Amino acid sequence: MTTRAAGADENPRRLLADSRRLTRQVRAAQRATWFPLLVFSAVTFAAIPVYRLGRHTVTCRTVPQGRICTAYTTPGLVYWPIALVLAYVVIAGFYLRRARDRGIGTRVFPYAVAGIALAVVLFGAAFWAAHNPPDPGRFILGVRGATVLLNQLAIAGSAIGLALLVLALVERNGALVTVAVGYVAFALLPARDLGWVLAPVSPWFFLPRLLLGGALLLVAGLLFAAFQRPRRRGAA
Amino acid sequence: MTGHPANGLDDVVHQRVRLGILTVAHEARQVEFGYLRDSLELTAGNLSQHLGVLEKAGLVTIDKGYAGKRARTWVTLTKAGRAALRAEISQLKLLIEQIEGGGA
Repeated sequence: MTTRAAGADENPRRLLADSRRLTRQVRAAQRATWFPLLVFSAVTFAAIPVYRLGRHTVTCRTVPQGRICTAYTTPGLVYWPIALVLAYVVIAGFYLRRARDRGIGTRVFPYAVAGIALAVVLFGAAFWAAHNPPDPGRFILGVRGATVLLNQLAIAGSAIGLALLVLALVERNGALVTVAVGYVAFALLPARDLGWVLAPVSPWFFLPRLLLGGALLLVAGLLFAAFQRPRRRGAA
Repeated sequence: MTGHPANGLDDVVHQRVRLGILTVAHEARQVEFGYLRDSLELTAGNLSQHLGVLEKAGLVTIDKGYAGKRARTWVTLTKAGRAALRAEISQLKLLIEQIEGGGA
């Protein structure tokens, strides 16, 4: 060990504080939370014409609690996996280009890989759900009503919400964790609890969920854009 | 030699600018020369000197290339650099604990 002059530059408190400040500065410069939110909002709104023009399948059965109807569109099963994978490619490309322009690396790969994996799982789950309508009385692996939860998880909203959670962890973004948890809760909410329900036989039965979901993502994206813009300018 | 945390500090890393370079490179994975110069508020010459010390110690690698017509220099933390940064931060925390506990 050499003898060193313990100047102000080597004060441990100052060094640690500087290190933490630089870490925060880099994280703020890396964040572009608004972009994935706006992309997912656009993807959600773009699903509306696909659902409307696609073939609807409505299955209704009588159970002791009443009547259960399941409605889904065949193009929806194809649309979401393709749209989500394309969305992740666009998001990853945007983050990489932005990182190159700003001169700092990005941690987008774990997010894009997790997102694409979720989209693939969603495709499998949606396929399964199409053949297994929700039944509160049915047991799966000893869990009563598991089909209801699995059907809810199979919808695209869950994949978007879970991917947002991954992004929140990658960006270490507490505000986005709140948005992602809120969005997953919204996605898992049964249709009857949305406060705006159309009959399953209506050709627009899907509209409340897609419009509300897209609007939630749009508002969150615009809010993040408003809050992150001054920091982006400051970091540039 | 005693077990005092100050004895565990590495002269190469225990310096404001070099610790800053390692911190930014760790968080960003890869960082461009211009970003480092602006965020650490250094002149290009001063930053080059510090990068030279870190590169010689094997803590960073420096890659030069072009983005279009612009020459760009990218700094990446090595495995040894990550370990050195981790060690420095834990030594600093220990040192602060000792100072606050009156053990210095």
